[in-house]
Amino acid sequence: MNDDLLRQAFAELRRVEAEQAPKFVVPALRVRDHLKPVLRLAFAALLLIIIILSFRRPPEPSITAWKAPTDFLLATPGRELLQSTPDLKGIRR
Amino acid sequence: MQRAEMERAIEELHPASYGWALSCCGRNREEAEEVLQNVYVKILDGKARFNGRSSLKTWLFAVIRHTAISQSRRRALGELLTAKWARREIVRVATMPDAAAETSQVCAGLVDALRKLARRQREVLELVFYHDMTIEEAAAAMHVSIGAARVHYQRGKKQLLAQMNGNR
Repeated sequence: MNDDLLRQAFAELRRVEAEQAPKFVVPALRVRDHLKPVLRLAFAALLLIIIILSFRRPPEPSITAWKAPTDFLLATPGRELLQSTPDLKGIRR
Repeated sequence: MQRAEMERAIEELHPASYGWALSCCGRNREEAEEVLQNVYVKILDGKARFNGRSSLKTWLFAVIRHTAISQSRRRALGELLTAKWARREIVRVATMPDAAAETSQVCAGLVDALRKLARRQREVLELVFYHDMTIEEAAAAMHVSIGAARVHYQRGKKQLLAQMNGNR
């Protein structure tokens, strides 16, 4: 068997297989792939909103309303005695 | 290349592409059709782009070959994990005589002889004899050097002729 016969055998195989070939069908675009850019954009926007919200600083309180956080330490027991003048009238003669 | 233009081009090449997909899938029709559909989706979705460095046919055949190999690897891995390998072999052996019976005796002999060749030898011979490509084009479609393609061609042809003469 030489090249020509080999060519004939392949041509026969090609003819037979071409007859069995399924019809060409244009594959429809997959919806998921089609929506991919939109979904990516929506995800990026959502991520951006979350980041902005999490890093946003709470509103600063007014300076007049400010109270030291350690103020309670000054409220020691018996402090009211030091803040008022003792009444000594009763012990005068 | 526009989508409509590409659709027309791949439709023209469809019979040849199917023949090549059959070759890449060991002449399993279901696998070949699946590979071809995946290739068309890849191309029309723009995941595989034709850059004009070779002919459209050569490029399309390279995409088909690449897709068939990766699909076959994935399937083999999946079957290995689910221990279906043995069952698949039985199914494949059982379906082979039916497929062969549909073709003529010459075709059956050729297909049997091709199955006994190494993958690259089989590929280069099919690209040259079945698809009328030059060895250079076959090398581009197979992603091998021209020298390697020539060696595969010579050795493959010698073995194929020996097999076919032996079958006679």
